[in-house]
Amino acid sequence: MSIPVSLAIIALAALIHASFQLSVSVLTLLSAHTIGAKRSRNKLLRLITSFVFGAGLMTALLLSFGSLFLLSIFGANTPQIVWAIACGMSAGVAISIWLFYYRREKGTMLWIPRNVAKYLTDRTQSTKLSAEAFGLGLSSITGEILFIIAPLLISALVLIQLPSLWQLVGIGIYTIISLLSLIIIWVSISQGCSLSRIQKWRESNKSFLQFVAGAGLIVLVFFVYVNEIVVFAIGKV
Amino acid sequence: MSLVVNIIKDNGQRRTEHFDRKKLYDSILAACLSVYTPDGQAETTADTVCDAVAVWLQKRPEVTSHDIRLVAAKYLKNHHPEAAYLYEQHHITI
Repeated sequence: MSIPVSLAIIALAALIHASFQLSVSVLTLLSAHTIGAKRSRNKLLRLITSFVFGAGLMTALLLSFGSLFLLSIFGANTPQIVWAIACGMSAGVAISIWLFYYRREKGTMLWIPRNVAKYLTDRTQSTKLSAEAFGLGLSSITGEILFIIAPLLISALVLIQLPSLWQLVGIGIYTIISLLSLIIIWVSISQGCSLSRIQKWRESNKSFLQFVAGAGLIVLVFFVYVNEIVVFAIGKV
Repeated sequence: MSLVVNIIKDNGQRRTEHFDRKKLYDSILAACLSVYTPDGQAETTADTVCDAVAVWLQKRPEVTSHDIRLVAAKYLKNHHPEAAYLYEQHHITI
Protein backbone atom coordinates (compact mmCIF):
# COMPACT_ATOMS: atom_id res chain seq x y z
CA MET A 1 0.00 0.00 0.00
CA SER A 2 1.50 3.37 -1.01
CA ILE A 3 1.89 6.22 1.50
CA PRO A 4 -0.87 8.42 -0.04
CA VAL A 5 -3.33 5.50 -0.07
CA SER A 6 -2.44 4.67 3.55
CA LEU A 7 -2.96 8.28 4.62
CA ALA A 8 -6.26 8.41 2.72
CA ILE A 9 -7.47 5.32 4.61
CA ILE A 10 -6.40 6.90 7.90
CA ALA A 11 -8.19 10.14 6.97
CA LEU A 12 -11.42 8.28 6.11
CA ALA A 13 -11.22 6.28 9.35
CA ALA A 14 -10.73 9.54 11.27
CA LEU A 15 -13.76 11.09 9.55
CA ILE A 16 -15.84 8.11 10.66
CA HIS A 17 -14.48 8.59 14.18
CA ALA A 18 -15.47 12.28 13.98
CA SER A 19 -19.06 11.34 13.16
CA PHE A 20 -19.46 9.58 16.53
CA GLN A 21 -21.35 11.70 18.98
CA LEU A 22 -20.47 10.94 22.60
CA SER A 23 -17.77 13.60 22.92
CA VAL A 24 -19.99 16.13 21.14
CA SER A 25 -22.83 15.38 23.59
CA VAL A 26 -20.52 15.78 26.58
CA LEU A 27 -19.07 19.02 25.18
CA THR A 28 -22.59 20.42 24.59
CA LEU A 29 -23.64 19.50 28.12
CA LEU A 30 -20.43 20.91 29.62
CA SER A 31 -21.03 24.21 27.82
CA ALA A 32 -24.67 24.32 28.96
CA HIS A 33 -23.64 23.82 32.61
CA THR A 34 -20.87 26.39 32.39
CA ILE A 35 -23.05 29.09 30.78
CA GLY A 36 -25.97 28.19 33.09
CA ALA A 37 -23.73 28.64 36.15
CA LYS A 38 -22.95 32.20 34.99
CA ARG A 39 -19.24 31.48 34.59
CA SER A 40 -17.30 33.96 32.46
CA ARG A 41 -16.80 33.56 28.74
CA ASN A 42 -13.06 33.11 29.27
CA LYS A 43 -13.74 30.31 31.73
CA LEU A 44 -16.09 28.66 29.22
CA LEU A 45 -13.45 28.85 26.50
CA ARG A 46 -10.78 27.46 28.83
CA LEU A 47 -13.00 24.52 29.80
CA ILE A 48 -14.06 23.57 26.28
CA THR A 49 -10.51 24.00 24.96
CA SER A 50 -9.20 21.69 27.69
CA PHE A 51 -11.93 19.21 26.86
CA VAL A 52 -10.97 19.16 23.16
CA PHE A 53 -7.27 18.73 24.09
CA GLY A 54 -8.18 15.85 26.42
CA ALA A 55 -10.20 14.13 23.70
CA GLY A 56 -7.35 14.65 21.21
CA LEU A 57 -4.73 13.27 23.56
CA MET A 58 -6.77 10.16 24.35
CA THR A 59 -7.37 9.54 20.64
CA ALA A 60 -3.64 9.87 19.88
CA LEU A 61 -2.76 7.62 22.83
CA LEU A 62 -5.27 4.92 21.87
CA LEU A 63 -4.07 4.91 18.27
CA SER A 64 -0.39 4.86 19.30
CA PHE A 65 -1.01 2.09 21.83
CA GLY A 66 -2.97 0.04 19.28
CA SER A 67 -0.23 0.46 16.68
CA LEU A 68 2.54 -0.43 19.13
CA PHE A 69 0.62 -3.49 20.32
CA LEU A 70 0.00 -4.74 16.78
CA LEU A 71 3.59 -3.94 15.74
CA SER A 72 5.00 -5.92 18.67
CA ILE A 73 2.88 -8.95 17.77
CA PHE A 74 2.95 -8.99 13.95
CA GLY A 75 5.79 -6.67 12.95
CA ALA A 76 5.35 -4.53 9.83
CA ASN A 77 3.88 -7.41 7.78
CA THR A 78 0.45 -8.09 9.18
CA PRO A 79 -0.90 -11.58 8.28
CA GLN A 80 -3.93 -11.65 5.96
CA ILE A 81 -5.99 -13.37 8.62
CA VAL A 82 -5.61 -10.33 10.90
CA TRP A 83 -6.79 -8.01 8.11
CA ALA A 84 -9.74 -10.34 7.52
CA ILE A 85 -10.61 -10.33 11.24
CA ALA A 86 -10.33 -6.52 11.38
CA CYS A 87 -12.57 -6.17 8.32
CA GLY A 88 -15.15 -8.62 9.69
CA MET A 89 -15.19 -6.95 13.08
CA SER A 90 -15.50 -3.48 11.55
CA ALA A 91 -18.36 -4.61 9.31
CA GLY A 92 -20.07 -5.93 12.45
CA VAL A 93 -19.54 -2.59 14.18
CA ALA A 94 -20.95 -0.78 11.11
CA ILE A 95 -24.12 -2.87 11.20
CA SER A 96 -24.50 -2.38 14.94
CA ILE A 97 -24.11 1.40 14.40
CA TRP A 98 -27.01 1.28 11.92
CA LEU A 99 -29.09 -0.78 14.33
CA PHE A 100 -28.18 0.48 17.78
CA TYR A 101 -26.15 3.68 17.81
CA TYR A 102 -28.93 5.96 19.05
CA ARG A 103 -31.63 4.83 21.46
CA ARG A 104 -35.09 4.92 19.92
CA GLU A 105 -36.22 7.75 22.17
CA LYS A 106 -36.35 11.51 22.09
CA GLY A 107 -33.05 13.35 22.32
CA THR A 108 -29.61 12.09 21.38
CA MET A 109 -29.19 9.24 23.87
CA LEU A 110 -26.61 6.69 22.77
CA TRP A 111 -26.34 2.94 23.18
CA ILE A 112 -23.50 3.15 25.64
CA PRO A 113 -23.71 1.55 29.10
CA ARG A 114 -26.10 3.68 31.18
CA ASN A 115 -23.68 3.87 34.11
CA VAL A 116 -21.03 5.37 31.79
CA ALA A 117 -23.60 7.90 30.51
CA LYS A 118 -24.61 8.76 34.07
CA TYR A 119 -20.99 9.10 35.15
CA LEU A 120 -20.27 11.49 32.25
CA THR A 121 -23.45 13.51 32.91
CA ASP A 122 -22.58 13.85 36.61
CA ARG A 123 -18.99 14.78 35.81
CA THR A 124 -20.05 17.54 33.38
CA GLN A 125 -22.14 19.03 36.18
CA SER A 126 -19.26 19.11 38.63
CA THR A 127 -16.55 20.19 36.19
CA LYS A 128 -15.22 23.62 37.18
CA LEU A 129 -11.48 23.41 36.48
CA SER A 130 -9.64 23.08 33.18
CA ALA A 131 -7.91 19.94 34.48
CA GLU A 132 -11.31 18.36 35.16
CA ALA A 133 -12.51 19.29 31.67
CA PHE A 134 -9.31 17.76 30.26
CA GLY A 135 -10.03 14.54 32.18
CA LEU A 136 -13.62 14.61 30.94
CA GLY A 137 -12.29 14.79 27.36
CA LEU A 138 -10.14 11.71 28.04
CA SER A 139 -13.10 9.83 29.57
CA SER A 140 -15.55 10.71 26.80
CA ILE A 141 -13.31 9.06 24.20
CA THR A 142 -12.89 5.98 26.41
CA GLY A 143 -16.68 5.82 26.87
CA GLU A 144 -17.18 5.36 23.15
CA ILE A 145 -14.50 2.72 22.71
CA LEU A 146 -17.07 0.10 21.61
CA PHE A 147 -17.68 2.08 18.41
CA ILE A 148 -14.38 3.85 17.76
CA ILE A 149 -12.45 0.61 18.05
CA ALA A 150 -13.24 -0.19 14.39
CA PRO A 151 -11.68 2.91 12.74
CA LEU A 152 -8.86 2.83 15.32
CA LEU A 153 -8.01 -0.80 14.56
CA ILE A 154 -7.94 -0.32 10.79
CA SER A 155 -5.87 2.86 11.16
CA ALA A 156 -3.43 1.09 13.48
CA LEU A 157 -3.02 -1.77 10.98
CA VAL A 158 -2.36 0.72 8.19
CA LEU A 159 -0.01 2.82 10.35
CA ILE A 160 2.36 -0.02 11.22
CA GLN A 161 3.12 -0.58 7.53
CA LEU A 162 4.36 2.99 7.14
CA PRO A 163 7.93 4.29 7.71
CA SER A 164 8.42 5.74 11.24
CA LEU A 165 8.14 9.41 10.26
CA TRP A 166 4.94 8.78 8.29
CA GLN A 167 3.53 6.91 11.28
CA LEU A 168 3.75 10.14 13.27
CA VAL A 169 2.16 12.06 10.38
CA GLY A 170 -0.60 9.43 10.27
CA ILE A 171 -1.28 9.73 14.00
CA GLY A 172 -1.39 13.53 13.64
CA ILE A 173 -3.80 13.36 10.68
CA TYR A 174 -6.07 10.91 12.47
CA THR A 175 -6.15 12.96 15.67
CA ILE A 176 -6.87 16.28 13.96
CA ILE A 177 -9.56 14.92 11.63
CA SER A 178 -11.24 12.93 14.42
CA LEU A 179 -11.54 16.18 16.40
CA LEU A 180 -13.28 18.05 13.56
CA SER A 181 -16.78 17.73 15.03
CA LEU A 182 -15.54 18.95 18.42
CA ILE A 183 -13.67 21.83 16.77
CA ILE A 184 -16.86 22.86 14.91
CA ILE A 185 -18.80 22.86 18.22
CA TRP A 186 -15.91 24.77 19.89
CA VAL A 187 -16.01 27.46 17.17
CA SER A 188 -19.83 27.68 17.29
CA ILE A 189 -19.88 28.09 21.07
CA SER A 190 -17.03 30.58 21.10
CA GLN A 191 -18.92 32.67 18.51
CA GLY A 192 -21.98 32.71 20.79
CA CYS A 193 -24.13 30.21 18.89
CA SER A 194 -27.08 29.03 20.98
CA LEU A 195 -26.70 25.58 22.53
CA SER A 196 -30.36 24.81 21.87
CA ARG A 197 -29.72 25.43 18.16
CA ILE A 198 -26.74 23.04 18.20
CA GLN A 199 -28.71 20.38 20.09
CA LYS A 200 -31.76 20.81 17.82
CA TRP A 201 -29.55 20.28 14.76
CA ARG A 202 -28.02 17.19 16.34
CA GLU A 203 -31.40 15.77 17.28
CA SER A 204 -33.01 16.35 13.90
CA ASN A 205 -30.02 14.94 12.00
CA LYS A 206 -29.23 12.00 14.25
CA SER A 207 -30.51 9.38 11.78
CA PHE A 208 -28.40 10.92 9.03
CA LEU A 209 -25.28 10.93 11.25
CA GLN A 210 -25.96 7.32 12.23
CA PHE A 211 -26.33 6.30 8.59
CA VAL A 212 -23.18 8.17 7.53
CA ALA A 213 -21.07 6.60 10.30
CA GLY A 214 -22.22 3.07 9.41
CA ALA A 215 -21.97 3.61 5.64
CA GLY A 216 -18.53 5.21 5.96
CA LEU A 217 -17.30 2.22 7.91
CA ILE A 218 -18.67 -0.19 5.29
CA VAL A 219 -16.90 1.76 2.52
CA LEU A 220 -13.68 1.71 4.55
CA VAL A 221 -13.95 -2.04 5.16
CA PHE A 222 -14.66 -2.72 1.48
CA PHE A 223 -11.66 -0.64 0.38
CA VAL A 224 -9.31 -2.25 2.88
CA TYR A 225 -10.62 -5.75 2.11
CA VAL A 226 -10.04 -5.30 -1.62
CA ASN A 227 -6.62 -3.71 -1.09
CA GLU A 228 -5.29 -6.19 1.43
CA ILE A 229 -7.12 -9.49 0.94
CA VAL A 230 -8.39 -9.62 -2.64
CA VAL A 231 -5.28 -8.06 -4.24
CA PHE A 232 -3.07 -10.43 -2.19
CA ALA A 233 -5.18 -13.44 -3.20
CA ILE A 234 -5.13 -12.47 -6.89
CA GLY A 235 -1.38 -11.92 -6.71
CA LYS A 236 -0.95 -15.50 -5.47
CA VAL A 237 -2.98 -17.04 -8.32
CA MET B 1 -46.36 27.48 54.07
CA SER B 2 -43.75 24.97 52.92
CA LEU B 3 -44.83 22.17 50.63
CA VAL B 4 -44.16 18.59 51.84
CA VAL B 5 -44.15 16.31 48.82
CA ASN B 6 -42.06 13.18 48.45
CA ILE B 7 -40.02 13.01 45.28
CA ILE B 8 -39.18 9.50 44.06
CA LYS B 9 -35.85 9.70 42.28
CA ASP B 10 -34.60 7.46 39.44
CA ASN B 11 -37.66 5.13 39.67
CA GLY B 12 -36.96 4.47 43.34
CA GLN B 13 -33.31 3.57 42.83
CA ARG B 14 -32.21 6.57 44.87
CA ARG B 15 -33.40 7.80 48.25
CA THR B 16 -36.75 9.65 48.26
CA GLU B 17 -36.45 13.37 49.02
CA HIS B 18 -38.81 16.18 49.93
CA PHE B 19 -39.60 18.66 47.19
CA ASP B 20 -36.93 21.36 47.15
CA ARG B 21 -38.12 24.53 45.43
CA LYS B 22 -34.58 25.97 45.35
CA LYS B 23 -33.30 22.96 43.43
CA LEU B 24 -36.03 23.30 40.82
CA TYR B 25 -35.50 27.08 40.65
CA ASP B 26 -31.75 26.63 40.10
CA SER B 27 -32.25 24.09 37.31
CA ILE B 28 -34.75 26.29 35.46
CA LEU B 29 -32.59 29.36 35.97
CA ALA B 30 -29.58 27.46 34.56
CA ALA B 31 -31.59 26.36 31.51
CA CYS B 32 -32.66 29.98 30.87
CA LEU B 33 -29.14 31.32 31.33
CA SER B 34 -27.75 28.58 29.03
CA VAL B 35 -29.64 30.15 26.13
CA TYR B 36 -28.28 33.61 26.98
CA THR B 37 -31.47 34.95 28.61
CA PRO B 38 -30.86 38.20 30.54
CA ASP B 39 -30.49 37.58 34.32
CA GLY B 40 -33.67 39.41 35.34
CA GLN B 41 -35.85 37.63 32.80
CA ALA B 42 -34.31 34.26 33.72
CA GLU B 43 -35.04 34.81 37.44
CA THR B 44 -38.64 35.89 36.76
CA THR B 45 -39.24 32.91 34.49
CA ALA B 46 -37.75 30.49 37.02
CA ASP B 47 -39.95 31.96 39.78
CA THR B 48 -43.11 31.78 37.69
CA VAL B 49 -42.46 28.18 36.67
CA CYS B 50 -41.69 27.16 40.29
CA ASP B 51 -44.98 28.74 41.41
CA ALA B 52 -46.90 26.83 38.74
CA VAL B 53 -45.19 23.54 39.70
CA ALA B 54 -45.92 24.20 43.41
CA VAL B 55 -49.64 24.64 42.59
CA TRP B 56 -49.59 21.39 40.60
CA LEU B 57 -47.93 19.60 43.53
CA GLN B 58 -50.42 20.78 46.17
CA LYS B 59 -52.78 17.81 45.81
CA ARG B 60 -50.06 15.24 45.22
CA PRO B 61 -48.28 13.74 48.24
CA GLU B 62 -45.80 11.76 46.14
CA VAL B 63 -44.48 12.25 42.60
CA THR B 64 -41.42 11.14 40.64
CA SER B 65 -38.58 13.47 39.69
CA HIS B 66 -39.45 12.66 36.06
CA ASP B 67 -42.99 14.03 36.61
CA ILE B 68 -41.56 17.24 38.04
CA ARG B 69 -39.30 17.64 35.02
CA LEU B 70 -42.20 17.08 32.60
CA VAL B 71 -44.48 19.55 34.35
CA ALA B 72 -41.74 22.16 34.77
CA ALA B 73 -40.83 21.82 31.08
CA LYS B 74 -44.50 22.23 30.11
CA TYR B 75 -44.82 25.50 32.05
CA LEU B 76 -41.39 26.70 30.95
CA LYS B 77 -42.41 26.17 27.31
CA ASN B 78 -45.11 28.82 27.75
CA HIS B 79 -42.58 31.40 28.91
CA HIS B 80 -39.37 30.43 27.13
CA PRO B 81 -39.59 27.64 24.50
CA GLU B 82 -35.85 27.64 23.77
CA ALA B 83 -34.92 27.21 27.44
CA ALA B 84 -37.65 24.55 27.78
CA TYR B 85 -36.10 22.60 24.94
CA LEU B 86 -32.67 22.63 26.59
CA TYR B 87 -34.24 21.78 29.97
CA GLU B 88 -35.99 18.75 28.45
CA GLN B 89 -32.83 17.66 26.67
CA HIS B 90 -30.64 17.70 29.76
CA HIS B 91 -31.35 14.07 30.71
CA ILE B 92 -31.52 12.75 27.15
CA THR B 93 -28.37 14.24 25.62
CA ILE B 94 -25.90 11.42 26.40
